Amino acid sequence: MKRFLLFISLLLITASLVMAQTVQISGTVTGSEDGLAMPGVNVTVKGTTIGAITDADGKYTIIVPANAQSLLFSFVGFVTAEVPIEGKTRIDLVLQQDLFRVDEIVVVGYGTQKKREVTGSISAVKGDDLRSLAAGNFAASLAGRSTGVQITQQTGVLGEEARFRIRGVGSISSGTYPLIVLDGVPIATGDMGGQAAANSLGSINPSDIESMEILKDGSATAIYGSLAANGVILITTRRGSAGKMKVNYNSYYGVAQPIRLFDLLKADDFVMISNEKYTNRGYAPVAFNDGAAFPGQTFDTDWQMAVLRKNAFQMDHNLSLSGGTDINTYYFSLGYSSMEGVTRPNEMERFSVRANLEQKVRKWLTVGTNIGVSRTKYLGLNTGANSLSGNIFSAIRQLPNTPVYNPDHPTGYNIDDIVYPDPIGTGNPDWVGRWNNVASIGENIPNIRYVIDHNKFTSDVYRILGNAFAQVNILKTLNFKTQLGIDHTLTEGLYYYNPLHGDGRAANGRIYNDSDKTAIWNLQNILTYNQTFLNDHNVTLTLVNEFQFQRYNGFNAAGTDLSNVFFSKNVISGTYGTQISGGSMTERGWISYAGRFNYNFRGKYYLQGSLRYDGLSSLADKWGLFPGASVGWTVTQEPFMSSVTDILSDLKIRASYAKVGNSNIGNYPYLGLYGSAKYANYNGLGFSQLGNAELQWETSTKYDIGFDALFLEGKYKLTFDYFLNDQDGLILDAPLPPSLGIPRNVVSRNIGSMKNWGYEISGEAFIIRNNDLTWSVDANITFQKNEVTSLYQDKDMTYDWYINRVGESYNSIFGWEYAGVNAANGNTLYYKADGSIIQGNIANSAWRTYDPEDPANVSNPASAMVTADKRIIGPSIPTYFGGLNTKAQYKGLDLLVSTRFSGGNYIFNRTRVDLLGLNFTNNGAEILGRWQSPEEPGDGWTPKLWSGGTNFINQPEQGSTRWIEKGNFFKFSTVALGYTFPKEWMRKINVDNLRVYVQGQDMLMITKYTGIDPEMEITGRDFNGTPKQRVITFGINLSL
Amino acid sequence: MKNIFSILKYLRKLVLIPVILLILVISSCEDIIELQPYNNVSETIAFSTPSLIALSVTGMYEAAQIGYYRNPVDPAYRGYPFGAAFVEQGDCRGEDVVNMQAFYQYTYEGTYNLTTANNRVYWEDTYRLINRANIIIEGVTQAVADGIISDAQGNIYLGEARFFRAISHLELLFHFASPYKHTAGASHMGVPYREKAYTTNAAIEEGMSQHRNTVADCYSKILADLDFAEANLPVKSARSGNEKITRATKGAAIAYKTRVYQHMWDWAKVISEAGKFFAFSGNDAYTIEPDPNTPFANNYSNRESVFSIENSATNYPSVNGALAQMYKRRLLVCMSPIIWRNAGWLTDDKRRNSASGQLILNVSGRIHTNKYKDDVTSTDAAPVIRYAEVLLNLAEAYCRNAPPAGAPDANALNYLNMVRNRSLADMATQGYGAADFDDNVELLGAILLERRIEFAMEGRRWPDIHRLQFCPYYPINGIPQKLANTSVPASAFTLGSPYTGPYGVAAIPYSDYRFLWPIPQTELDINPTLVEEQNPGW
Repeated sequence: MKRFLLFISLLLITASLVMAQTVQISGTVTGSEDGLAMPGVNVTVKGTTIGAITDADGKYTIIVPANAQSLLFSFVGFVTAEVPIEGKTRIDLVLQQDLFRVDEIVVVGYGTQKKREVTGSISAVKGDDLRSLAAGNFAASLAGRSTGVQITQQTGVLGEEARFRIRGVGSISSGTYPLIVLDGVPIATGDMGGQAAANSLGSINPSDIESMEILKDGSATAIYGSLAANGVILITTRRGSAGKMKVNYNSYYGVAQPIRLFDLLKADDFVMISNEKYTNRGYAPVAFNDGAAFPGQTFDTDWQMAVLRKNAFQMDHNLSLSGGTDINTYYFSLGYSSMEGVTRPNEMERFSVRANLEQKVRKWLTVGTNIGVSRTKYLGLNTGANSLSGNIFSAIRQLPNTPVYNPDHPTGYNIDDIVYPDPIGTGNPDWVGRWNNVASIGENIPNIRYVIDHNKFTSDVYRILGNAFAQVNILKTLNFKTQLGIDHTLTEGLYYYNPLHGDGRAANGRIYNDSDKTAIWNLQNILTYNQTFLNDHNVTLTLVNEFQFQRYNGFNAAGTDLSNVFFSKNVISGTYGTQISGGSMTERGWISYAGRFNYNFRGKYYLQGSLRYDGLSSLADKWGLFPGASVGWTVTQEPFMSSVTDILSDLKIRASYAKVGNSNIGNYPYLGLYGSAKYANYNGLGFSQLGNAELQWETSTKYDIGFDALFLEGKYKLTFDYFLNDQDGLILDAPLPPSLGIPRNVVSRNIGSMKNWGYEISGEAFIIRNNDLTWSVDANITFQKNEVTSLYQDKDMTYDWYINRVGESYNSIFGWEYAGVNAANGNTLYYKADGSIIQGNIANSAWRTYDPEDPANVSNPASAMVTADKRIIGPSIPTYFGGLNTKAQYKGLDLLVSTRFSGGNYIFNRTRVDLLGLNFTNNGAEILGRWQSPEEPGDGWTPKLWSGGTNFINQPEQGSTRWIEKGNFFKFSTVALGYTFPKEWMRKINVDNLRVYVQGQDMLMITKYTGIDPEMEITGRDFNGTPKQRVITFGINLSL
Repeated sequence: MKNIFSILKYLRKLVLIPVILLILVISSCEDIIELQPYNNVSETIAFSTPSLIALSVTGMYEAAQIGYYRNPVDPAYRGYPFGAAFVEQGDCRGEDVVNMQAFYQYTYEGTYNLTTANNRVYWEDTYRLINRANIIIEGVTQAVADGIISDAQGNIYLGEARFFRAISHLELLFHFASPYKHTAGASHMGVPYREKAYTTNAAIEEGMSQHRNTVADCYSKILADLDFAEANLPVKSARSGNEKITRATKGAAIAYKTRVYQHMWDWAKVISEAGKFFAFSGNDAYTIEPDPNTPFANNYSNRESVFSIENSATNYPSVNGALAQMYKRRLLVCMSPIIWRNAGWLTDDKRRNSASGQLILNVSGRIHTNKYKDDVTSTDAAPVIRYAEVLLNLAEAYCRNAPPAGAPDANALNYLNMVRNRSLADMATQGYGAADFDDNVELLGAILLERRIEFAMEGRRWPDIHRLQFCPYYPINGIPQKLANTSVPASAFTLGSPYTGPYGVAAIPYSDYRFLWPIPQTELDINPTLVEEQNPGW
């Protein structure tokens, strides 16, 4: 103690504590819920390290300096209480349960803070909430859990990335993915390479996650400077704590199925519709299911089930050991996960090991490591929305009156190259067999099941995520930490195209192996100074110096013209005719200096300022300065509020401002470059990128004002935030006229700006809390808007179905106004920009005027429907979203229901266009509403059928109100029912805790959207995505 | 004393501070933010050595060969403009092929618009090639001035670049501008003729203010470029191996000039340019190969191909673009019964030979071309211009220059026969003589038909449709009617009578705006000058 005081007086000017006299205080601490004595409560003199701990009866005795002002009582899960001493020698206390964990420590950038002291906007999610959710990517399980954060898994393919949107969309051309920091180390995000979707987060075992903090506003993210524009997610893995070893085993088994299927035509309707397509155009019927060609053989095949799995099996096992002593702690875990996706042959398998160790070497020195090693294997497939072998593209087109298999064909599959008894004779081995039809399938589609069974796409991801650190307590108040982190990923990819049928036939088979390496290192030096002056002034100063370096490199070897189907597992020397190889390497580096200053006065007034100076290799002008500041005021600490604290127990008002940057801008965007340009076999170089040395940082200025309020002894909580993110100097891939011939027809320029703003409201309530029954409800909702405020020359950036226009929402959905079907002739009707209606004359694919008085007249040419006739239909980004969750516990039973909703956005349902294709392919049931004659005009929306007329009649690539729908939905995302066996029983078999549960994910969706799922939209378009999964799991949680 | 020990103990810890500072110093090396790419060369050195310059010149051919279709970040090589697309689009805009599947449907049925990919990419990738050519012109000119390469070498490179600049603009005129004779003096809108390299931000604004040059203007610039190319390019014997055919030569420039003048209806010039071919001798001579299959069977080593774009097994317009994939392996486009059953095409013509390795692929009675034979590794060359075309251009020029009602022109007949006779089963009885034609109009008809037969599935049909809108004797009105892709039974190919229908794809009259491709939306979005100069009706 003397030593401590000596150094305080030596090194700091504030020699405030002089132990002249002492006083002894004692008392008893009880809990608010049950009124029972609480052992183990920490009692400290505020502003000192003088402390005591309550005994088994909740009693304590403490000797305090005479000038001590107050005592602090703290216990995990309870609200820390501060009691003024005011000369008392006995202080008894009832500790309130901290239902909302306001006194919990949360992880912030380069450190931790008490939740109560945070002045920024942070959403925290506990690892326990994610552990039991079956998903290929745990990020998706964050959906609906916090305000301002929308995370969407867009397809049911295991390994595909989820889309993150933290308070809107942060950029137009550059990256919009948040920074992910694992145990203090920024990690690689995105797809990790290989030939099957392999998202970065998939190699992290969700069971190892202790907590995730989503930093949303400027103040919380400012310390990450140029990395923070899209928000930051901090992931902390579990560690051990002193005490006996804890053994946890968690496991689940699940069955997944597609959330919905398409309503495709059955064989008979298919025959009718197909022949109507042909006869309308004056041709003979081609579709038959009469068994004429193959006597007695008629079929009604749902080809979706040739591609999708009804019972995809999924399981997950995790074993962890943790514990420690006063000087060391450990956490070891083993994880194994094996999942089948809802689409064949999609699979994911993960093995993971984690070791988090911490050792106190000296009183002043702690060293530790957090190391996770994983191997994740993915078996993927071709999901190309416009690929002949794309799973959904193909499945919805296959002819329902044909079989999947043909035992008479050498392959065993129904393939078209057998001799047919119809006039066309022998077919083409590129195509699926036509069977009783007298035409081959349109669009030269292969037998998708053959392709799925024979082609291979794999990624095998080996990853080490680790750090080693040393922490030195130079002084009690001054701490230095140095940490070296790495994220090394090696991904091996393979694809193999079978030479007999499908994509591989064109080149007589193709095999491709690649090796992709991501190497990231990160060195951080953090100096933290933490001191309380004069009892009331709490100061924390954090200084950071950080270096980061990323290198991506890879190479590949491939061959076509394969010698034999046998050589399909790896590139094997000498087994293919044409040899192909390639590779590339890019790098990026940062140097950063940052500081953060936190100050609070009596936990009442808070002030935080931070400054980061970043140097980034991707810019010519490398250095940028990113400031941030925030203030907070706990109003309820004010004396004048004392009268209302019975109702309003705690109210904190916060406001923040920061300017952060987006360094997700590519590696060399400013350079004028020449890249390889090989002509046949002659090496060449070609202009590949127009440089712009003036390129600057893309910045986001973030404002936030909000409050956190607790009511009625902390049983109800309300949080509100208003946010505004002003994205400025957006590095836009500024479009250039293609007739200048500049590569990609773009140049990177800082010319766009955009803002995102909105309100976030969340509430939590503990409605019932007694020994037998607890019931809590929480809800959150976010209203957000986006507006593009400037573009290159403020010119529209138009695309087929979306547009960026100044004054409108980013990527607004954009299209023609469809006016339905001309009842006189079945032609399509559209509004021109001038309000007139024209018709698309099906017979000659030409635009004609439309006169309602004389609707059958198609003799007057009209000018074409062009981009100028399109109007903005609405935003592609939801304008509101949220979730409503409830948890109840009755004795051993627990029930969780969580829901989420979203809406206000529009979707171009491109899959619906494909389902109404007019080639000789199957259709969705909507086509039954087609116009047949003036007497049978159908649904007024679906035009006349016309074989081969897809492009003109459906205008497939063009946004139009015929296809654009609202994206509103409400989903029950999780329903879980668990039972925890009584402790008394378990104790007899030496088990601490045993819980079993059954859980359903994505069980029910309410929406008017006609596609599979409005969440399957990408850039506002839903196009032949793989249906998402609905999963039912059975699991156990066991601890010893 | 105790205090002093404490201090010493603390000092031990303070030793750490220099260590910490050391870590900071060591690691504050600025190298990690001073990075240069490994995959690319900086523009500052691209023209700094002879070998880099040579690479850039070859890179221009790459832009001609595979195109980007989407973009360099996510490319989908489909052979725009000269590696395959000019053949496929040129054929599918005409009536002599049938698009069997959905692949070329927009082009085939004329349902394209401002954003459909084929026409958009044609514009984009052709201008990309033009910019590559202009970059070569500026870079090489500077390198010659700086003494990095010799004048002589520089001129060859400049010849190659100006050759590409000319033929690229010509290709754009075929699709995006009305034919030369649309207005007297060809004063109607052509395309912007780009003669400046766009490699800097400063140049962009200037480029955006450029209007569409008139068609006459474009043609005169094309000719100026080709004249330069002719004067500076080497004869083919100066090149070796495949490059005799697959790099630009003096012959290629002259051959192109016959095509250019033909589109300008300047027959005297066609005659004088084609005449230059007869001056080539020895290893520089071009000749009609005795077998019509040879220019395709030996597409890199025959003496008839004047200029082709090379494709290799590792570098070709992909299975979604390569000619042998589109026309053969995947059977996406077949020959149309319209031409196949044309009575003027003799049934025993060697170009109907469907024996293995010959020109025709008969798939259950449906007729496909076998001109592009390598459907496994897609190494077939894209035939840009052949000597056969030079001769038929010459024949047509002589024929049109002669009095229409007069006796068949001997030269015209001679050059037609030079191409046609080799394909006849019996030259003695089937070869044309003067007696076979009443007059030159009839002879002209035979020459024009011969083009459709000889260049079937070589992409030449569209340019002919384009220019023949104004033919006084065999006018084509717009785009002829075609067979719909959904119903071509094998029986439709049975020889014996001309095909009379059904068609299914209605003709598009010349007056219809669909005759021309629109300037794509990507251009209009950002180029205020061309917004005002869109093709009418679009």
